[in-house]
Amino acid sequence: MLPITYAIRNLFRDPSRLLQTVGGSALVVLLVIAAAALTRGMEGVLEATGSAQNVILVGAGSEESIERSEVHLDAESAAATAVSGLSSPLGITAASGEILYMAPLTIAGGHEEPALLRGVTEKALLVHTRVRVIEGAYPSPGQVMVGRLMYRRFGVEALDLAPGRTIAFGKTEFTISGIFEAPGTVLESEVWFDRNDLATLTQRDTLSAVYLRLDDAEFDDVHVFTLQRNDLELSAIREDKYYEKLSSFYAPIRAMTWVTAALVAAGAIFGGLNTLYAAFASRIREMATLQSIGYTRTALLLSLVQESLLATLTGTLLAFVLAMFFLDGLSIPLSLGTFTMELTPGIILTGLGTGLALGTFGTLPPALRCLKPALPVALRSS
Amino acid sequence: MFITIRNLTKSFKKGPNLITPLQNLSLEAPRGEFLALMGPSGSGKTTLLNLIAGIDSPTSGDLMIDDHDVARLSRAQLTKWRSRHVGYIFQLYHLVPILSAFENVELPLLLMPLSRSERRARADAALDLVGLSDRAQHRPPELSGGQEQRVAIARAIVHDPELLVADEPTGDLDGESARSILALLTSLSQDHGKTIVMVTHDPKAAAVANRVLHLEKGQLVNPPATPASAVS
Repeated sequence: MLPITYAIRNLFRDPSRLLQTVGGSALVVLLVIAAAALTRGMEGVLEATGSAQNVILVGAGSEESIERSEVHLDAESAAATAVSGLSSPLGITAASGEILYMAPLTIAGGHEEPALLRGVTEKALLVHTRVRVIEGAYPSPGQVMVGRLMYRRFGVEALDLAPGRTIAFGKTEFTISGIFEAPGTVLESEVWFDRNDLATLTQRDTLSAVYLRLDDAEFDDVHVFTLQRNDLELSAIREDKYYEKLSSFYAPIRAMTWVTAALVAAGAIFGGLNTLYAAFASRIREMATLQSIGYTRTALLLSLVQESLLATLTGTLLAFVLAMFFLDGLSIPLSLGTFTMELTPGIILTGLGTGLALGTFGTLPPALRCLKPALPVALRSS
Repeated sequence: MFITIRNLTKSFKKGPNLITPLQNLSLEAPRGEFLALMGPSGSGKTTLLNLIAGIDSPTSGDLMIDDHDVARLSRAQLTKWRSRHVGYIFQLYHLVPILSAFENVELPLLLMPLSRSERRARADAALDLVGLSDRAQHRPPELSGGQEQRVAIARAIVHDPELLVADEPTGDLDGESARSILALLTSLSQDHGKTIVMVTHDPKAAAVANRVLHLEKGQLVNPPATPASAVS
């Protein structure tokens, strides 16, 4: 084997090539990290939002979108009494009739953004068990409670949506009563209204859905209820299944992210390959000389790969540093909710694997071409 | 005999044509002989040199170097054989530009089971032999042509091979540098017992060899002479 110093010094033989390789691999790895983090963040938040213990009752035919669903007001109490085995903390049955509505909200300063509004009663906390009020209080009539990440959707400071500030729906202003968290779920980008307030604002006399939290009961018990009370025209869906379906709705966005990353990466890889072909082509005679001394082609190939790996792994490290500063914790607002990009161990491994693959497989074609000519021919090359 | 060549032929296809740079060539050379190969371009000198050095393999014929049947070795075996038994000196030195003179000389030793201190001692000794101890840490671009060729010779002898092959070793040097390189090669042959095969176009260079062989169209044009009748 040639000493590692040979590979290291070769890196600095052409500083512009080194910069190009490090920069190119950093770009590719950064794109892969971004695409993986976005995909993982999107899937993760939707997976985490749905609970297998919750069942949603929606209007028959509206299984794809709760926002379009209409459920009779009586359904909440009917389900609470008819389905036995629902969770009942402190003796209150965990059945929460809610209104979901997508509408633009305006905050002080005139910022207007669409947000998912949820009209709730206190019972919502019995079914959305991850929700915890971290500041202020639960909303009373004339008040709203905002999710912890809501300010990012508006692109303002957290203080702009602190308790005591106002938020307007149309011309009606509401005081922010509190901030809630629901770690890792899309709920953190919602605004919770008093249910009656939202019913008035949206001029509805129906609910969007009734959320039930199961204890001893099973999904089939709820399903049987929907059949028994066919007059209510309900359909039961497990909450985790609902969000799984929503996740598949975003599949084209994820695919586009990967396609974009792949296209830019392909450009960088072809540019890098071209540079390597030129760089190695100028070293054909040097490689032949080393073979004439007694170094095997395999040893020389390993040295060339080693050299490229040093450059691509430096690029990978650079990509990780950039990702830590610019991607880690970055919130991406989509209509459903806000996704946070995180550098999880899996994503770090993906980035590292990309860097290793670039250094190894990207080097093989130009390196093999450099080592391919017959020794007498290679020794005479200029 | 150190080198025994019988009916050596090398041919290869170039497009539709079969090129035969060497045809049924035979020669012998004893250990320690300094042999010069002369001839016009395309006469097969470098091809013969490459075959003797194990850089290339013959199409047919026998090639024995110090009892090693070089003609029958595989590419991997040839690579290993070269690393132990051959030192190659090139016209354009072929030094690795990013390595110092010392590191260039050390390259063949990295293939041997030697400790760091043993490698250092041998590389220092080789540089000392070619008179370049004070340039050990200089890189090739910082050396003159003559000095580069001295480093290349140090690299060729550092692992103590029995056979040195040189392809126009003075072809790129001025007269003074060429003379000192030839003196060095003569010393390696006479004082250190190295068998040297040198390709050259320069009759002055050939004159320092024990024997001069002329090739034309892949064949020797004068019969191989014995060391007793060597050209001095």
